[in-house]
This record gives sequence, structure tokens and C-alpha cells, in this order.
Amino acid sequence: MSVEASPQGKLTWRQWFRLGEYPMLRAIRRAADRRRQADGDFAWLFNPYTGDELVSIDCETTGLDTRRAELVSIAAVRIHDGRVLTSESLDLRLEPPASLDGDSIKIHRLRGVDLEGGMPVRDALETLLEFIGNRPLVGWCIDFDLAMLDRYLKAEFGFSLPNATIDVAQQYRKRMRRSHPELELQPTFEQLAERLGVPIMGRHTALGDAVTTALMHLRLDADALAESSR
Amino acid sequence: MIDINVTEPPFALLDDAGRERIRAGLDLAYYARDEVILEAGQAGEFVFVIHKGEVAELDMNESSTGGRIGHYTSGDLFGAISVINGQSRYRFVAEQETLCYLMPRALFLSLCEQSEDFSDYFHQRLVSKTRLLAERRSDGGVTLAGFMLAKVHECMRPPLLVDPSISIRQAVLTLKEKGADSLLVDTAEGPGMLTKTDLLDALVMQERGGGDALEGIAGLALVSVTRDQYLFEALIEMTRHKVARVVVYHEGALEGVVELTDVLSYFSSRSYVVSLQVEQADSLAELNEASQRTPELIDALMAQGIRMRFAMGMLSALNGRIIGKAWQFSMPAPQRDRVCLVVLGSEGRGEQILKTDQDNALILPDDLEWPDLAADSRRFTEVLMDLGYPRCPGNIMVSNPQWTGTLEQWRGRIRRWVAEPDGNSLMSLAILVDVAGVAGDMALVDRLRDVLIEETRGNALLLTHLARAVLRFSTPLTLFGSLKKPAHGIDIKKGGIFPIVHGVRTMALDAGLRETSTHDRLSALARLGRLDAEVAEDLGEALSLFSELRLKAQLRCQRDDLLASDNVVVQSLNSLERDLLREALHLVKEFKGSLSHRYHLEYA
Repeated sequence: MSVEASPQGKLTWRQWFRLGEYPMLRAIRRAADRRRQADGDFAWLFNPYTGDELVSIDCETTGLDTRRAELVSIAAVRIHDGRVLTSESLDLRLEPPASLDGDSIKIHRLRGVDLEGGMPVRDALETLLEFIGNRPLVGWCIDFDLAMLDRYLKAEFGFSLPNATIDVAQQYRKRMRRSHPELELQPTFEQLAERLGVPIMGRHTALGDAVTTALMHLRLDADALAESSR
Repeated sequence: MIDINVTEPPFALLDDAGRERIRAGLDLAYYARDEVILEAGQAGEFVFVIHKGEVAELDMNESSTGGRIGHYTSGDLFGAISVINGQSRYRFVAEQETLCYLMPRALFLSLCEQSEDFSDYFHQRLVSKTRLLAERRSDGGVTLAGFMLAKVHECMRPPLLVDPSISIRQAVLTLKEKGADSLLVDTAEGPGMLTKTDLLDALVMQERGGGDALEGIAGLALVSVTRDQYLFEALIEMTRHKVARVVVYHEGALEGVVELTDVLSYFSSRSYVVSLQVEQADSLAELNEASQRTPELIDALMAQGIRMRFAMGMLSALNGRIIGKAWQFSMPAPQRDRVCLVVLGSEGRGEQILKTDQDNALILPDDLEWPDLAADSRRFTEVLMDLGYPRCPGNIMVSNPQWTGTLEQWRGRIRRWVAEPDGNSLMSLAILVDVAGVAGDMALVDRLRDVLIEETRGNALLLTHLARAVLRFSTPLTLFGSLKKPAHGIDIKKGGIFPIVHGVRTMALDAGLRETSTHDRLSALARLGRLDAEVAEDLGEALSLFSELRLKAQLRCQRDDLLASDNVVVQSLNSLERDLLREALHLVKEFKGSLSHRYHLEYA
């Protein structure tokens, strides 16, 4: 689920805090998690990543409140060598959560019946961790997805995602602030895709948004390369 | 997720499972402007399908022309050949920011292994690919299967061969008994056609009796086709020769008769209506009415999936008849039947699409008195203008005394052109090589052709001069470069049609051929061994493709009331058409290369 930034542009401190974006807090929490997991099955996730791959992720949920909303589906796609590896992507549907209601169905178009045969949460999380490993994560307003995933991970395995993250929305804001400092930019997902000339691939499906996000990231990256070589 | 059009070839050639594997097996890549996607010599790891953007294909060994040999855009596929050959021959560069689907080598090869059609697509020659285009255009191909693919023998009646000694009464009884409209009379000179009209004519006009023998009644001038020709060609023959039936031969032996009414039961199109209208016209006004309808006829033929060369043949037969009848209506007898009215250039080759400028000339017999020739011929040019044939900007018309004359006058002109091969002479010569008669004494046009062949035979220098025009317009592939204004398109006439037509024309003159259509010339050149049969076939197909694209562009201009244009906007074509166009332009380039080798144009 992609959260659009609030109309005022900036998130309040309370929101920052809740999203776990308060950097110092995250670092402390990660150190604690790492110690606790040192002998566990997931210890390897805490090793620094040395490869050159990224993983773009996206979650669909039943709502916007990260404390109460429930996960509906999770998608992830690897980015390698300038390519989005859609052929090896991960698209997980979960067992229908209790809070699946009309409003959320309108957004992601997954009804209860669509989720029949979905995976148990614990299996899904394990599959996801296996897929993303310790690669850096890319997402659109990724803090929301992280907050959701962390809440579930904490409950099941007792730790939060330790991966480095790149927020494409922020990546774009930073880029534009450098070239156009006078502009206050809060483009929506669709606007940014259009501005970058990236086709929207199945909006409001987890995999579609993950792929579009990955393409936007590649696009922004290529631009950066072109700029630095000028 | 993978938003790829699988309803077009080559993907349409796969089965559902294959298409599903494609949807599941593609990756995505983004390329910045000017980024090299695939380097020449690099191993082919992927087949690329462009989702969005534009890609140029560059030949790095040819820096003189920028080396640009191809251009690809949304929906196009490239890199397949690199995968098949192991490495890329050319460099592929993103002209704009480009998003591509990447099909891994292993997936592509395994799909090729699974589906023969899919695999063939990447190995096929142009000939088979254009067939795909025609099949798709006709929407399921009902009319295509029903008519275009119908051969003469599918619509043939057994011949009713009778002895010339039988009586008229017996002949009428035979016709009645068999429910036929015509008989073949077995004469010493070959079979003669005898129709009901002929019988009526004999009985009423010539006042013969029912007991008289058939001898001397049947007409001998038989129009014939072979059993394996397309039915459509039989129809063209009928239109051209103003007959309602043709005789069918197979390996020299008489095998049957095709009646126009039978063809019509196969083919209920307006083509017959228009040609009937032309035949029945008794005045210029009526002729004009029929003449106005030819574009709509061609449109209809194309929509039915009739192949371009047949549609062009039909149109040229019709135009020939219209001009011929106009000549009959407006010129005085007996002069009009003693001279020969000829058409030149594309009309002479039978390759014009829509109405072209009037390119015509007059051959006079040596002993003709025609005091008003100047005034009459000027009037004829006006008549043709009224019928919708614009004036020739180069003034190559009967109203120009330079384009009328006796055979000896023509010989003098040809000698002068050959002796001083400047631009004008060469152009006149090229136009005259495509001469075809439409009205009057047709023997004269054959003699003019003899003169032309006599005067040019073995003149290698002349051929070099003539051939050089092929190189006049830059290699068409660079025309893709004008993408900054994509709406302008590429000039298909200069870039594709002219080099083939003129190159083939030069070779035809070289070989002393009497054929005038480019397709016939190509077949003849192949038969003589002057051109590889496959190359000839491919060039013919490329020419048809260019003509078709040009026709489409012209019809569109006509619909939108724009100025006629030979420009084909590459972006408006579908990916199959673009693929074919690319290949056809490659062929032209190779043909130009072989011409410049044959006629030593590199040094001239």
C-alpha cells in the first residue's frame, strides 16, 4: 500500500515516529535485534550486503493506520544490472484478514474470495525474507510498508527488517530540490510515473506497484548518472 | 503485469501456453537516451521488445552514411537474430529514453523449439512474411480464401469442343443441352471461341441458315490462362481484352473454359461493376462517371486482402480501357485506328496506384494524313484532364509534338538521347522503355520497342549512365533519421520504389526484354539467370509492400483532403508492417549495391 504524503507536504513528528523513520531509533532497534538474532535462523539478514542487487517491495493492506491495518498481499521484485527481474518476482497473497472490508476492497480490488487459498502470515513472511535477503529495499513511501511488515515480523519472529532502504518519493524530492530549490514538490505516484515517463503497470496490485516503483528508481538513477557525467 | 501485445506476430504464432510463458518470463529494462543497448559483436543474451521509446540500429562498418540501418519503436522486437547467430552484427542505441521487455535467450530458444511457426518467423524471407500481413488484413481471411487464393482450375468448366463441320442448329442444341454460353470449335489453327452472340450474329446479320456449318463463324483471338494461375489474373485478362471468357491450358493442352459469370459467383466485388460501366459507356460523360469510381474500387480490393500486384494490374487494365475508349470517342476515324496511342512510365508498367499524371505519346504510321493532328491531340489531353488524369508536369503528352512521331522520328530521338545522355535524355529514355499501347494499331508499339532495343543494345556506357540514377536518392535507411519531425515520414517513392523500378528497368533494357511491368521483368530476369530467383521474388514483394504503404498513405491523404504525399509515417504503421518495411529497405540497399557493382557505378 502506498501512502500519499499528507496535503501539507510534511509528516508530523508523531507520524515520523510511528513510521519508525526516526533514524536514531531505528539504528538502536536494529542493533538490539541483531544481538538477539545472533544465533537464530535469520542471523544472516543482519550481515552487511555486498552485492549489487536491490529489491523493490510493495504491500497491500486493509487500511492506512499501520497499527491496525492488516496485510493482504506482499510483492517484491529484484533489480539487477539496470533490469527489473519481473520474471522472478514474488507475489504473495495472504489468508483473508478479519478486517477486510468494503473500503479497502475498493482500493486494491481483492475480495475475500480472491484471498481464499492465501498463505498463512508466517509462511508468507518467511518466503519474503528468503527472497529479499539482506539486499537494500526500494519502495514508494517505503516507511509505510516497513512499518506494516515490521509489526508482523515482530509478532512472528521478534525483529524488524534490518535492510537499508531507498524511498523513491524522497529520492525524487531530493533530486528536484537540488535542481529546482524553489519548488515544493509532493507529486503523487501517478504524477511521478508520468513525469518520469514510466508506464504504470497494474496500479493497486502489490506486484504492479512494486514493478512501477522499481522502474521509477532505475529512471531516477539513470538521470543521476547522466547528470554526474555532464 | 507484462503489458505486451501478443495478438500480433510473432507472438500470435504461439499457442496459449507459449504466450503465458512469455508473460511470465520477461524482465524489464530502462535505457537512457544514447545508451548502447546491444553492442556490435556482443553476445545476444536477450530478445528485446520495446514497450516505449525508440531504438536505432547502426552498422559500425559504415560510417559514411551514419550507418543507420534500422529504427524500432513501441511494439517492435529486436535482438532475435543476435540470439540465433550468437552475437550481434549491429549496434543498438536508445534514441530516446526506452523501456524494453527482455526475453532471456533460453526462453526464446525454447519457444522456437516448441513452435515451428514462431521459429520460422525469424528465419523467413520477406515473401512469406508479407503473406502474413495480407492474411491478417483480411480479418479472418474469408474473402481471401474465397477469392484471392482461388486458382483458375477451381472455377473452370470442361471445354465443349465441337467439330467445325457441325451445323449451327446442332451447336445451338449442344449449348442448350449443356446449359452453356459458349462452345470451342476445333479448327486447324487451334480452338476458336463461339458464343451465343456469334451464333445470333451469323443467323441474323449474315443471314446464314440453321443447317450451315460452323466454319468461319468462330473467332480465333483466344485469351488464355493456365490452370494454376490465380482466378484474379483471369479476371484481369478479361478486363484487358474485353472478353467474357478465357480458355484454360495446362502444359500446352486445352483443359477448360472460365466464364466471367462463374468468376463473379466467386467474387462479388465492385470491380466487375466498374469495368462493366467502363465497357458500356457510350459517351465521355458516362466514361467519366466510371472513371471517378476507380479509387473506391482499389480501396475495396485492398480491404478484401487482394494482393497489391493484382490490384495494380486491375487498375491499370481499367485505366488502359478508359483512356482507350476516350481516344475512340474523341478522335476522328480513320486516323484514330491507324496510329498507336501509348502510355509511358508507371502507366506503361501497369503499376500506378490511384490516378497518376498522364504520360502518353503517339506513334504514327509513315503514310498517314492527319491535318488537324496538333489541335486534336491538344484536345485529347484536355479530355483526359476532364476524366481526372492531371497534366504531366514534364509535358510528356500527345499534345507535345516531341512525343508524337513516326517510327523513324522516334528512332532519331532515341539516337539523340543515346548519343547525349544528359539528365533529360536519360529520363526520356527511361520513360520510353516502359511503353505500352492502349489504343489504335498495336503493332506499332511492338515496332517501337524493336527500335528501342536495336538502338541501345550492347551500349554499356549508356547502361552505366542510366543505372546511376538508382543511387541518386540517398540510401532509404537513413530516412528513418528524420525523426525529429516524425509526422513527415519517409519518402517511400524515392527511397524504395524508384530504386527497384529503375534498377529493374535498366537490367531489362540491358537484356532486351519486352516485358514492361516490373514484376514480369523480374520473372524474366530470373528466368534468364541474370538475377537470382530468390532475389527477384523478394524484390517483387518489397515493391508490392512499398506500393501498398504508399497507397495507404495516399488514400489517407485523400480522405483527409490533404495534398497527396508519398511519405509513409513509420510511427503510424503496426509493428509487423514496420518489420517488413525495414526488411524491404534492406533488400533495396543490397540491390543498389549489386547494381553499382554490375554497372560499375563506384568509379563512374
